[in-house]
This record gives sequence, C-alpha cells and structure tokens, in this order.
Amino acid sequence: MKAILTAMKTSISEVMETMFFLPVEFVEEPALKQIKALKGRQNKACCLDFSGDFSGSVYLLVPNPLLLEMAENFMGESGESLKEEILDGTLTEAVNMMAGNALRRIKTKIPFELSIPKLVPGSQFPETKGTLIIKTTGPDMAVHITFR
Amino acid sequence: MSYSILIVDDSLPMRSVIKKTIRAAGYGKSEFLEAANGKEALTLLKNNWVDMVMTDHNMPVMNGLELIRAVKADTLLNTIPMVVISTEGNESRIREFMEGGAAGYLAKPFAAEAIRDLIVKFLGEASYDEGDLDGNENLDF
Repeated sequence: MKAILTAMKTSISEVMETMFFLPVEFVEEPALKQIKALKGRQNKACCLDFSGDFSGSVYLLVPNPLLLEMAENFMGESGESLKEEILDGTLTEAVNMMAGNALRRIKTKIPFELSIPKLVPGSQFPETKGTLIIKTTGPDMAVHITFR
Repeated sequence: MSYSILIVDDSLPMRSVIKKTIRAAGYGKSEFLEAANGKEALTLLKNNWVDMVMTDHNMPVMNGLELIRAVKADTLLNTIPMVVISTEGNESRIREFMEGGAAGYLAKPFAAEAIRDLIVKFLGEASYDEGDLDGNENLDF
C-alpha cells in the first residue's frame, strides 16, 4: 500500500498546485495529536469510496479558511461572492481529483470505480496513523485512505 | 464565430471553471449549456443544437460513458464531438471512452492551456475579437 500513498502525495501536489494554485508540503510522520488538533478546528470533510483490485475510501479534511482560499483560487472570485454550494462543490471536486488522479497511477487489471464524493462531518475523519497532513500557505489540511 | 458548447459535470464549480477557461481562451461569444449528469445532457441535446460536448465520467444517474454511447447511437446527434474531462483515466478506461465514441480525453487536474487546445482542435482557432467582452477573465495563455 506504499505505492498508493506515494501516488496520493503526487496527486495532491498536482491538484493543489494546478487547480488551486497553492504549493504544498507533507508533514513527515504526523503525530495523532496533530490530527486531533486539525479536527478541533472549524472545518469541512468529505469522502469518496473506490473499488477495484483493492477497495477503500479517501477522506479529505479542510479547515474553513483554507477551503475559502481554495474556492477563491479555483473560481477566480472573491470569497464574499461564493455561496455554501460552491464551497461544498470545491471540496468534493478536490477529493474527486485527488483520488482519481492517484488511482489512475496504480497499475491494475480492472479500472477502479469511484463513488460520487459525499460530505461527512469532520468528526468522521479517521483518527489513525497513516494520515497525510499537508501544509499549505493557509492552515494545514489532511487526507486519509482506509482500505477494506 | 460563436459556438454552442454543452458542459456536463455534477460539480457546479467545475462547470463554472471550464466555462470561464473557454471564455478566457478567446471564445467569449460562445453559448454554454450545462448539465449535472448524462440524463440531463441528453434532454438538452434533444432540444438544442450544440457544436461540442465536454463531459465528466463519474456522475450520478448517468455517467459520461453511458452518455457518449447514447449520443453515438442517435443518428441525429452522433456527429457532435464528445470530449471526456475526468479524473478517471487509466489506459483501459480511456480505451473504453474512445471505443464508445469519445473524440478526445483530458485528465483532471488540467492546465487552462489544455482546455484551449481541445477547443481549438475541435472548433478551430478563436477569432481575435471573440475574447471575453466583460473583461473579467484574467487567465494567461
């Protein structure tokens, strides 16, 4: 499963830099308390399931100020004009691009099927090792992949 | 010359970004139709002529591949160029799109230039005076 984590890191960098114009860095071996701290902020989370040679879910947790910055950069509009629907759509599109872009780098016999991304409460974001914490120009965000 | 382009994606922000990118590429006079899934797109296609369809794959109700197959099976619609813009794109999936009748494929995430290149390939270069008349797009090519 190291291959998928490597692919996910590459994908996150590409998506954040190409679509949201935000440079990223990964926190090496983040402590669980860093994940707890992120979950304690005002944030939004979403999740997307995938199935194929192996199956699982990708979770994305983004603090509200960072999500606003992402949406502003994505849409090319100021935050004041962005409705909740746009913020939610930006979040779900982000996880869709991150997951799809990562999974297409994995060689498999059958293509992965992706579910439609859905919003979930931030509290549902897994609090376990293996979470990627990503530093940006704003607050940190987090990505977690669970396998079934 | 203005074109009519149908953008099919369940993400409202993504539809908006694609539309703005096309306008900024010099096709500011184009008319855009939008659909959130393949079924909505088919309804629009039965009532409107479009020059090109840009569709996502992973959508509720009817996905992009199903839409392409439906359009290609319709003798009134099957000449419309259909381009897939999707995160899903390993080799076998792209083969499915192309065998289904897609004219092109672009992976998300994409650079603005890639959208322009697609439009140019299927609709031709924009006239110099076709830029966004509102002047509110600031993407560089």
